[in-house]
Amino acid sequence: MTHSLKHIALIAALLLTAGSAVAQERATLLTGAELTRVVPTGFYFQGLSAPTQMRNAAAARFGKDRYVISGLVDTSGYSADVRAKYVGFLITDAPITLNGESLQPGAYGFGFANEGKLTVMDLSGKDLMSVSISNDKDLRRPRPLMMTADAGGVRLYNGKNYVVIAAQ
Amino acid sequence: MLQKIVSLVCLTLLVPFVLLAQTPPKKPDQPMGGASTGTPATYTSRRTIGITDPNAPVIFEDVTDKTALASFRHHSGEAAKDFIFETTSGGAAIFDFDSDGRPDIYLVNGSTAAAMRGKEKAPRAALYRNAGNWKFEDVTDKAGVANERWGFSVAVGDYNNDGRPDMFVGNFGVSRLYRNNGDGTFTDVAEKLGVARKGWSTGASWGDYDGDGRLDLFVPGYVQIDLANLPPSPSDVNKGGSVGQNYCQFRGVPVMCGPRGLPGEGDTLYRQKADGTFEDVSVKAGVSDPEKYYGFSAAFVHVNDDKLLDLIVVNDSTPKQLYINKGNGTFEEIGYPSGIALNENGREQAGMGLAVGDYDNDGRIDFHITNFSDDSNVLYHNDGDDNFTDVTFQAGLGEVSIPFLGWGTSFLDFDNDGWLDLFVVNGHVYPAADAHQWGTSYAQQALLFRNLKAKFERVGAPPGNALANAWPGRGLATGDLDGDGRLDLVINNLDAKPVVLRNVAATSGHWLGLRLIGDVAKKSPRDAIGSVAYVTTGALRQRQDVLSGAVFCSQNDMTLHFGLGAATKIDKLEIKWPDGSVEAFNVSTVDKVITIAQGTGR
Repeated sequence: MTHSLKHIALIAALLLTAGSAVAQERATLLTGAELTRVVPTGFYFQGLSAPTQMRNAAAARFGKDRYVISGLVDTSGYSADVRAKYVGFLITDAPITLNGESLQPGAYGFGFANEGKLTVMDLSGKDLMSVSISNDKDLRRPRPLMMTADAGGVRLYNGKNYVVIAAQ
Repeated sequence: MLQKIVSLVCLTLLVPFVLLAQTPPKKPDQPMGGASTGTPATYTSRRTIGITDPNAPVIFEDVTDKTALASFRHHSGEAAKDFIFETTSGGAAIFDFDSDGRPDIYLVNGSTAAAMRGKEKAPRAALYRNAGNWKFEDVTDKAGVANERWGFSVAVGDYNNDGRPDMFVGNFGVSRLYRNNGDGTFTDVAEKLGVARKGWSTGASWGDYDGDGRLDLFVPGYVQIDLANLPPSPSDVNKGGSVGQNYCQFRGVPVMCGPRGLPGEGDTLYRQKADGTFEDVSVKAGVSDPEKYYGFSAAFVHVNDDKLLDLIVVNDSTPKQLYINKGNGTFEEIGYPSGIALNENGREQAGMGLAVGDYDNDGRIDFHITNFSDDSNVLYHNDGDDNFTDVTFQAGLGEVSIPFLGWGTSFLDFDNDGWLDLFVVNGHVYPAADAHQWGTSYAQQALLFRNLKAKFERVGAPPGNALANAWPGRGLATGDLDGDGRLDLVINNLDAKPVVLRNVAATSGHWLGLRLIGDVAKKSPRDAIGSVAYVTTGALRQRQDVLSGAVFCSQNDMTLHFGLGAATKIDKLEIKWPDGSVEAFNVSTVDKVITIAQGTGR
């Protein structure tokens, strides 16, 4: 019995610890100097480095020191076919999910060439994943790119459309 | 039992995580982009030329060839348009420079790279004196206002309060301030007074932001261009190793570069000091545009209707800025929270021209802004409390404008029914538009919209009529050139002759013109910029503001024009002067222009 109770306590403690860890993964949106410190001023993708539109960049910290950073870039230097599929970057230093689909740590390009989808590409422009986008029709002041808090992590918005980014 | 307890505890603790992990992503309610703007499409026909309606009424008649303006030719670089500075000139102004009661016309001209280097004669701007009965006399030489620099904009304001309107001409290079000497001549005093702005100056605006009775000047900056180190050019595409091969494309076709990818320019606010010279207070006032957005149009205007002039700046391909005057010499930029910075979908647009007016007669100033092709123009309704709503599509101005690349835009009551209509001039920047199925064209028809009590409908173009023609339009100015109570138009076309449109609308109501004179002793600028007139006829209360600039690098006549419909008497006329004081006036008759001086009661 005592052994069993110890077992229960141990399992409960383990689960609570896991819960606590997840709780610690709650996202903090970065602003001001914290934001500019982590957002790169330019991003390499498919043969070119393009400047970041700093006004259209956002970042969140998960837990103590895990970051997800995203920004639109000035794609004027790209050919029309690249511009059609690539608008910005997504950088994560921890495994995350985009609307529930896993994405490993790394630096990626993204775009919206497929209607209703956000497509994540590797730095060579190869499609890696495509996730459906939700629409927040009640969003009063949409922006080209922004992050807001969400129960499951953060919402990454493009206009009124968004995906939910969560720490894995 | 114990196992059950363990299982229950585990299950209880696990459920939230399982539920969280299983929460499905919300399905999209609509395709990405919503009411999408800026999306290129392929068309089998051009939707910007040759659109006519045999049942449409004749509103405007092209009388250009009957006037001296027919000999004016705008010239801006080469026909290939390899560089952005060749594509956006130039403005037009209607103003009564000689105070004879008849509005005159000024046309800005561009230039060429060779002229900029002193290797050929520069194109000349032109001033036409209105002699009445559609006779215009070219008085450019006598007036000394040929500019002969790469001109883009003109903004009128009586900066020295001497009763004679002066002109700021914004150039690529060094801008000019032409002081009106009152004898038919002007003197460039830009260097002497400290407003000889260098760089690429676009749609300027005069306004007394600090309430000292002296006009100040705001000048947006567009793009930094070094003629000795030009951006990649589409003409270089077939030369081996040219960066231009991939650098600047539109729908896969090589085109000139910019503005995106080119360094932008900050904006400049010049405050007029007591001695009549100007100081650059841009940074101190908080309007220097450190982000260096690509500024095109601006206007000092009462956004929140306190006694302080606010400021709107329309930027190309970057967010628009709305500056609220805090009354202490500084402004607070509220573009994003006000809703002005972006369109309803949160997208940055290629802002070009700016129309300012109360289109729904609710007493508050609204804005119409022109944009690039494959995107709609945008109408912002002023909801009060510094909030604006993009009502473009609800108002009927969305879908119809998408194929057009818009420039000058003005609210004007062309049929004098008491509701502000809208006129927009268009024209593409890429000559290649004529060689591809982009659904658009290089020269484009203008758009006229009739206001049906805050909803707009396009007025068709009868075959063979002026509105059936396509022009490479840029600048636009409105004014009653023949004094018949119907507002006429002047369009400055890129690399072409201008167009003078006489308003011949048959269904025209009564009207009232107001020329306002501010009292300098009460710290109102003499030309009354910043004044607001309210005219009440029956249940309708209209508002008109005395404005400098806006449109697109252009200047409308500052005589306020009210359409009155069937009303033959004014129930109430109130003027809110720049110093904030309000006066009421009795108006005995309509269908004429009256002059009202502040503080005189008449």
